Order: sequence, then C-alpha cells, then structure tokens
Amino acid sequence: MSLLEIFDPKAPPKAIGIDLGTTNSLVAYVKNERPTTVLDCDQVALLPSVVHYGPGGEVVVGRNAQLRAAEHPRETIVSVKRFMGRGGDDPETKRLGPYAFLTPKEGEANVVRFAVGKKVVTPVEVSAEILRSLRRLAEDELRSVGGAVITVPAYFDDAQRQATKDAGRLAGLEVLRLLNEPTAAALAYGLEKKQNGKFAVYDLGGGTFDVTVLVLDDGVFQVRSTGGDSALGGDDMDRALAEEIFRGAGKDPAAATPGEVRVVLDLARQVKHGLTNADIVDLEGPFGAVSISRARFDELIQPILARTGVACRRALKDAELKAEELDGVILVGGSTRVPAVRAYVAKMFGKEPLGDIDPDQVVALGAAIQANILSGASSSDEVLLLDVIPLSLGIEVGGGVVDRILPRNTTTPAAARATYTTQEDKQTGFEIHVVQGERELAGDCRSLARFTLKGIPPMAAGMARLEVTFRVDADGLLSVNAKEERTGLEQTVSVKPSYGLDDETVEDMLLDAIDNGEADLAARKLAEVRVEASRVASSTRKSIVADADLLDDAEKAKIEAALAAIDASIAGTDARKIERGLDDLDHATKDFAGRRMNRAIANAIAGQSLTSVEQTVEHAKGIEEAHAARPIPPASPSGRTL
Amino acid sequence: MDPFALLGVPRRFDLDLGALEKTHRELSRALHPDRFASAGASERREALEKAASVNEAWRIVRDPIRRAEALFRLHGAEVGENKEPKATPAFLMEVLEERESLSDARSANDLATVAKLGAKMKGRAQAVEQKLTTAFSQEHPQIGALLPLLGEMRFYKRFLDEVAAIEEEAEEKAATS
Repeated sequence: MSLLEIFDPKAPPKAIGIDLGTTNSLVAYVKNERPTTVLDCDQVALLPSVVHYGPGGEVVVGRNAQLRAAEHPRETIVSVKRFMGRGGDDPETKRLGPYAFLTPKEGEANVVRFAVGKKVVTPVEVSAEILRSLRRLAEDELRSVGGAVITVPAYFDDAQRQATKDAGRLAGLEVLRLLNEPTAAALAYGLEKKQNGKFAVYDLGGGTFDVTVLVLDDGVFQVRSTGGDSALGGDDMDRALAEEIFRGAGKDPAAATPGEVRVVLDLARQVKHGLTNADIVDLEGPFGAVSISRARFDELIQPILARTGVACRRALKDAELKAEELDGVILVGGSTRVPAVRAYVAKMFGKEPLGDIDPDQVVALGAAIQANILSGASSSDEVLLLDVIPLSLGIEVGGGVVDRILPRNTTTPAAARATYTTQEDKQTGFEIHVVQGERELAGDCRSLARFTLKGIPPMAAGMARLEVTFRVDADGLLSVNAKEERTGLEQTVSVKPSYGLDDETVEDMLLDAIDNGEADLAARKLAEVRVEASRVASSTRKSIVADADLLDDAEKAKIEAALAAIDASIAGTDARKIERGLDDLDHATKDFAGRRMNRAIANAIAGQSLTSVEQTVEHAKGIEEAHAARPIPPASPSGRTL
Repeated sequence: MDPFALLGVPRRFDLDLGALEKTHRELSRALHPDRFASAGASERREALEKAASVNEAWRIVRDPIRRAEALFRLHGAEVGENKEPKATPAFLMEVLEERESLSDARSANDLATVAKLGAKMKGRAQAVEQKLTTAFSQEHPQIGALLPLLGEMRFYKRFLDEVAAIEEEAEEKAATS
C-alpha cells in the first residue's frame, strides 16, 4: 500500500459529484475509473447537513454544528433542504421545528428567512455553507476542483431546483448539472452490475421521497416515470416518534421550548436508529425513561409508508409497467435501513430489493460518475442519462384553469408550444402565469412565475395570436418564451421562480461570501473562463476536422481566426477579452453547428440498421481496450461499506 | 415541425413503436446536451434545440391521439376541440348513456361492470385506430370525413382514464386496508 500519493501540479481540475442531502451530504469523484467518496480528517464520508451560526459571526458546519443544536436550536439549521425554494408562508415552514422565521419585507423575495442571532439567512445561503465545506474537503484531496454535479430529489419542482443551483454558485462551484437522485443511484448500480432491464429506484431520504422507474439498455438510462413527495422522509419518522415521546410524558409538543423540541427530536432519531437492529429501545429522555418497541414504531410510520406506496403505484402506471415486470428494485437513502421500509418495499414490488451499495453513498457515487462524463474525463461514451420532468408545466387560462403544456414524465430536454388568443376587444397585454403541478386549477398548483407581454396593438377579441413556448433543459429548469405572431412582439423569461432570488441578489451574496471579495472573485472568474475557452477551442478544432466537408474556405478561415484569437487571449489576463473571443467563435460556428447537428440526425436515422452490426464490432473492440487499460476492480472497492 | 420527417418515418398512423423507440434512443445518443458538455456555445445551443425537437417528435408520435392530430395537421386540417366539426347527436346520446352506466357502476362499487365498460370502450378505440390506419395509408385520405374520429378518440381516452382512476382508487383502498 502506498501512503505517498504523487501530486501532479499540472493535473487538470477534477469534476466532483455532490449529494446535498436533508440529513447528510457528501462529495465523491472518480479515481482510477472508480467512484470514491471523499473522507474528512476523521475518515468519515458523511457530513451532517447542519449549519450553526455563532454569536461572533462564525459559521460551523457538520458534526460540530450538530453538537451545538441542542443548546442553540434557533441558530443551528438542521434539514435546510426542506425549506429550499419554498415561500415563507408555505405550510412546511410552520411544521414542528425550533426556528425563528422572519416575514419578508415589502419588495423582498418571498423566501424563507431564518433569524440566527443578529443575522438573517435564506435556505440558499445555508445550503451554500454545506456545499462550501464539501468543496473545501474535495480541494484538500484534489487540489483543484473543476465543476460539480449536484443531486436533487427527482420530485423537486423548478423553484427547488433553481434554489439548489443558486446555492452551488454561491459556494463557488461551477454547476455542471443538476442530477436527479434516483437516476444517480441507478447510474452507480447500472455500471456496477452491467445488467440491462427495467428497474425501480425507491429513494427515501431524510426529508424527501422519490420513486423512479427506468429502463437500462446498453448504457442508456431512460427514465420512464418518476413520482414522489418532496416533503416526506426520515424526519417525519422522527417527528412521529417525538410526538409519541411527548405524549408518553404527558406533554404537549406545541407548548415545548425550542430546546426541548431539539432534544426530543434527537432522542427520537436515536430510538429509530436503535430499532434497526433491536426489538426494543430504552433510553433516558428529558422527561424520564423512554421505551419504544419496534412494533410500535412500525405502527407509527405506517401512514408514511402508505404515502410512498401511492407514489410507487402511480409511477408504475405512468411507466406502463406492472411490478412483476421489473428486473430489480434499488434502495436509496438512509431511511431505507428501517426494517419496516424494506419489508414494505419487498411486499409492494414482490421482490427483495437491492441494497448492496451503501444507500447513504450511492447517490454521490452516481453523481461523481456523471461529473466525470460531463467533464470529458470518462473513457466511455456509451453512458447516457435520459431523464424526465417530474411535474406537469402549464399556464393559467380563463377561469383559473391550467392548460398543460408539458405533461409530467416528458423526457428532457423538452420543448412544446401552445397558441392563445385575446379574450377582450382592444386587449393590449397578456398576463402569463406559469404553474407546475397536476391539479386542474392554477390556485392549487405551484406558482412558478408571472410576466406580462405588453404593447400589443389593440385588436378585436380573438384576433391576436400569442404563441407560448416552454423549454426545459437537461437540469430540468424551465424557460418560457411568449410571442405575439401578428406583431412579432416577443419576450423570453428564464423562470426565476416567484419564490426565488434574482441574479443580482445571488451575485451580491457571492461577493459577501468570498473571503477577499472582488479580487478573489475576479481571479476565480479568469481561471474559469480560461478552462472553458481551452475546452471549447479544443472541441471546435476536433469538429472542423471531423466535418471538414461541411465548411467552405471563407467560413473555415473565419473560425480559425477566432480560434487563434482565443489562444492569444488565454495567454493574457483579461477575462473579458477571452469572453469576447468565445462570442466571436460562437458567431463564426453558428451555421456550421447547425449543419453538424443535421448530419448527426441523418446519421443516427440512416445508420440505425447498420449500427447494430457496427456496435457489435465496436463493443468487442471496446472490451479488449478496456481490459488493457483498466485496472481490475477490487472485490470491495474503497469508499463503500457493504 | 414534422415529427415524422424528423424521426425518418413515413406519415402513417400505424408505426412500429418498438423500432421508433430505438431510433429515438440513437438520436438522443447523438444529440443529448451531455454529449456536448465541452463544446462551444453554438453547438451546445443547436444540440439542445435539436434534442428537444426529437423528444417532442417522439412524444407526439408515440401517443395515438397526438399522432393522429399531427397527421391531420400535416394534411392541412385545423385540429383542436373547438375547430373540429361537432360530434353527431347519435354519438353524443350513446356516449351519455355509457357515462351514466360507468357512474352507476362506480357508486355501486361494481368493479366487474367497470371493467366490462372499459373493455368495450377499448374495443371501440381500437376500431377507430384501425380506420385511421387504413385512411392514412392512402395517398389522399378524405380528411374532412375522418376529422370527427379525433373527438371520438379523445372521448374514449377520457373514459378509459376514468376507468383506470376508479380501479386505482379500489386498489388503493385494498392496499391500505
């Protein structure tokens, strides 16, 4: 065993995968072709997702923050993920918890605000502290971190996704992709087992539940359907137990002090963990002895399990599959350690679930694999994830009814259009209200954004034609474009949710958060844009060689000039100059890129009958190469506990 | 957008969806934004746009109603519930009766009748699909005469969704009790 790792100062920055969990978070990367979690100085991979704000402005994250939770319940934020992308008036924010919330002032975004001592922080900032800790942990091991894939529950809506991406930026990470947690887990399992088939992923975390049904076919992971509940998880088991403890002591939980609530919740968690292996747990609580049996616990969590069952049956139905058609069920999330959960899943799907990759780590491992692929470091280009949007997207039309534009389980990236007209004579504007959810009425769905298209010349009712286009990118994030066809009037908004922070606020927070402020930020920007520019230049050079016949001489000369300018600017220190070079290259390659994509489409269609033969040959070749290049994986890879 | 052209298949109602799923997968392999993560902005944008179009085409073509709507549109007809000709009174009458039977069966918790009504409607829907298959395999289909079939398809779909909802409700009850 070599203890001394040789450090290569010129090694390219490594992309990382982050599981930003409700209870615990962790970071992983691909080392020698295998995903590995990063361990802290105590050799522990899991960082408790707890942030403590001290009286002197100091911020403590992880186990040390956890230790302060009982004494400083209001200044210590636990399970912040449950507040991401939610409004301050959301019922979820008012549930059992010791926090002090501030109502937003007039004109402020409607996001949750925690009062922590003299400071006020939003969930995005709290999450950014956790991500920053993970980034530092990764930097200690890798020296240089280049881009991150951050996982989100599949059932997260647009606002929750956007908040997660903002937190990543705030933590100084280049967010390569938001990846759905169950899909990440499937990726880790799929590559481990190399087995094609239909799978369900049952992911019960600390605060969120997801179920995803997907088909794995020769490296393509195609999600058929997803369902869940972004406010259901192990925390709810703790709450059910905590209420039982309060009741047992003859106390009213609503009348308890924040400190008591924290202590009892922690006690409840200990009871839950104890019951994984024991039939009965006896502990000393703040109000005397506590004794809870597994049978009683199973009874208490029945309603939680039943709720997961509803989502599972619907996901199967949406995937047009029966439970018996599945080849396997994958367990993800710490809460699947609870024996009653395992038994429930086995009964519902009619088969023993797979849990041989640590359910706490599997999501981060999958994220690391995806980060490695996206950063171009992976040797395999066989793997592709095709994910879906979890909840229908639409706009409000007459009578408050929702017109669905993109139904749930539509594969991303997605685009769809719908055309509307004016209701009244001389109407000069359209109010567009974007919503997400499955209910018929807009008021019952999640409101994502409102914007107005103004300046339409007065016409008779029914004459104007408004075309609304929804686009969802591979992160699952929505942008909306509205265009009045007669006048050509057009407006595009990337949906910055009603419950979100605008770009400026995030930028300001970013400046505040960095130790040396602007100078540091500029240095980081320069480093990032340099990496980006050399990546783009090298990829463009490959393209113009591969599809040389699609270029005429003048176009080629223009592209080469733009490339030369980029090379020169990378050597300098002017970030803006590099950015301008990238813009010029973008213009020069615009038509060429279009032609390349058309060729790719034609090849994919025409070559489909041929590819089956070619692929067999390629595959055989690939196996030989893989044998030559790859180290044989150890039986029990490091970073995983079985 | 012509979803049939984009996926490289003829404008027909009967398509080999299994083969098309493979085509969609190959197109995704070629166009998905993940494949262009390190490319320049123009390629990333083009790939995103094309991948989204391909997904949209596949979403249209795999669903019988959306596929039929696209075929009608490509033959120059305006589709949409307000633009198509009204259903005949005879059809409406019959439909009303079937709906009542379903609602009675639901109140009576008579799952056997619910299933029977579902099977009946499924048969009708298949008959309509057969008609569309024949019509759209001809060079010049009689669009005007066929257009009411769209309304029928939507009705059968809603009916079958309701049957599924009733059955699901019963299953939920059985599963939670």
